[in-house]
Amino acid sequence: MPFDDFESELRESLRRRPAPASLKRKVMDRRAQNRGQIQSIRSAARRRNRMVWLERIAASLVLAGVAGSAVVGHYAVERRKGEEAKQQVFTALRITNHAFQVMNDRLQQQDKDSH
Amino acid sequence: MANDWQPGIEQLPDFERLFDEHQSMVFSLALGMTGDRGLAEEIAQDVFMELDRNIAKIESPEHACFWLRRVAISRSTDALRRRRTRGFGLWVEIEENHGAQAEERSSPLGDRIDCLLATLPEAQRAAIVLRYQEDLTPEEIAATLGAPLATVKSQLQRGLKLLRTKAESQLKEYIRAV
Repeated sequence: MPFDDFESELRESLRRRPAPASLKRKVMDRRAQNRGQIQSIRSAARRRNRMVWLERIAASLVLAGVAGSAVVGHYAVERRKGEEAKQQVFTALRITNHAFQVMNDRLQQQDKDSH
Repeated sequence: MANDWQPGIEQLPDFERLFDEHQSMVFSLALGMTGDRGLAEEIAQDVFMELDRNIAKIESPEHACFWLRRVAISRSTDALRRRRTRGFGLWVEIEENHGAQAEERSSPLGDRIDCLLATLPEAQRAAIVLRYQEDLTPEEIAATLGAPLATVKSQLQRGLKLLRTKAESQLKEYIRAV
């Protein structure tokens, strides 16, 4: 039985074999294909990112416009309220002035009557 | 390649160079594990595609070699399991594949060892392929397979014993046939 050199037979049987010639071409093709897919995925992601940023900028502009007009509106309402209050004060002053005038006329009339 | 591999410098190892250097090793490991040239070629492709994805993690030529051995064994084991669950007649294919290579071999025992190897459990087969094809020590095999040293030693002993027994009976049959 030739089993004394069994391990050397095993080593010989398991020696490295050259890879098929097609292996390199197949691997390089798959690699190039993967690269192409990765690039297209990346450019799609870039486009999507750009759209997201544009949407964010547009939303920010709309928000800024809404907030600005709200602030301007608020100031306009406050100014109108101030004007109304001023008019009310003037009206009150006019009424008071009129009342003083009437009272003054009566007092003068009483003075004339007493003399 | 070890000369111009400069760790610490931000430079990726050259994939094509690694491929040229290790293609035979990866293909032979897959062939030793599966006994099927077509499947071994597919496994080798997958291993190198995985290397391409993980090339930034490779630290040195030794690490590349270790990584490729580990992934080749792991992918081969996965492929064998997938094939088994799909119910392929592996034996028939092995017989056909090795029949085609029979003229390359020098001895009747050598012709049959590959077929016999395919009958071993996967863990024993992996240990034997790494020991006798790659000439690794049991410690290196344990590191490659991520298994305890004692387990690897036991797998080597049992695998070799089983292979001897099977080879002995095969050779007797062969001599009777001749």
